[in-house]
Amino acid sequence: MPEPDPLALIQAELDGQLDPQQRAELARRLLADPEARAMREDLQRLRAMLDGLEKVEPPAELKASVLSALPIAAAPGRTLWPAARWRYAALIAGVLGAASLVYETVDGPGESGELAGTMAARRTLTLDRVVLGAGPVSGNVRLYRDAGGLGLAFELASSAPVDVVVVSSGHTLRVNGVVTAGSAGRIKKVALPAPGMGGRRAVDLTFLISGREVARATLTPPEGR
Amino acid sequence: MKEDDDPALVQRCRAGDRRAFERLFERYQRPVFNAALRMLRNPQDALDVAQTTFLKAFEHLADYDPSFKFYSWIYRIAVNESLNALGSRRPFQELDDDEPDGTPGPEREAEGEQTRGEIEAALMRLSPELRIVIVLRHLMQLSYQDMGEILELPEKTVKSRLYSARQLLRQQLLRRGTV
Repeated sequence: MPEPDPLALIQAELDGQLDPQQRAELARRLLADPEARAMREDLQRLRAMLDGLEKVEPPAELKASVLSALPIAAAPGRTLWPAARWRYAALIAGVLGAASLVYETVDGPGESGELAGTMAARRTLTLDRVVLGAGPVSGNVRLYRDAGGLGLAFELASSAPVDVVVVSSGHTLRVNGVVTAGSAGRIKKVALPAPGMGGRRAVDLTFLISGREVARATLTPPEGR
Repeated sequence: MKEDDDPALVQRCRAGDRRAFERLFERYQRPVFNAALRMLRNPQDALDVAQTTFLKAFEHLADYDPSFKFYSWIYRIAVNESLNALGSRRPFQELDDDEPDGTPGPEREAEGEQTRGEIEAALMRLSPELRIVIVLRHLMQLSYQDMGEILELPEKTVKSRLYSARQLLRQQLLRRGTV
């Protein structure tokens, strides 16, 4: 019968998987083989380093976002909670928003600004606008429609990073970094999910700094738009 | 079955008890987030993966087979989401920050901190299939059997991947004088 590979014995030892017979065999091999001894020492150090890797606390945002996306009272499961997929898809889309939904302009003069996305050539119609005055966040937010559908354009300033929770047509999106360091004077655009049939058409915005609400606003498209 | 163990919480959750899911979330948010963080090495990506994991778990709880351990099931979702996230990364992101620049910044001045950084970088140089076995074994302290359940692989394959992963890590760290 072939002798067991010393490396396999050493690895099994690391995981506490050796029986007494294998342990004796390993001891014998280590005694006779300095290379195996060196390898064992390396692997033991490696294990100690891996086991010692720091575990970090998840950000509080994780709990807030997951629990806020759960229904108030309903049994989980696809057939019992069809809205769940919408909710979390919207939530994740919002959190991931920077990658795919946010189109940023650089000092754009209103609608004809130089768009980084593919919306540059599209005609844009402003449906509603709100101005934020005194307070930690200032500037304006426009609700607009273009060929791509409804969207929000944020032109804000603040001394701290600002996130916004957007509630629209039953969807909730969190848009992180609407204001960030060095973003003053820039317009950030966020595409909104297509509105469902009926329901409230208003778009509610909650502005957050370090997770704390600092302002609210509501934008309402005119009837028929 | 104790009132607060996983099967009881799953049962209550399936009956519509939202608080039971909150308990499961509290129990598993840390390992799920940390596993994703070690796989992706980016806190924002790890946060996204953890969010998706819990929301998918909630939505699909009706499909969960209680003959399996709940943690194996939710970790499997987390592993798949992490692999999906890695798959959707552009190549430059995969390689980003893999190579230490040799000039530790102020935050890496402490020797221990530098070693940790080197191990993390070495982990990121492993293929995702090898990295995940290291994460499950050493970060989450799971057995070969649990790892096999999560990865849907025979224990023999898990063991073989784990051994290969450790050998590759050892070789990388030896070259850098870390082990």
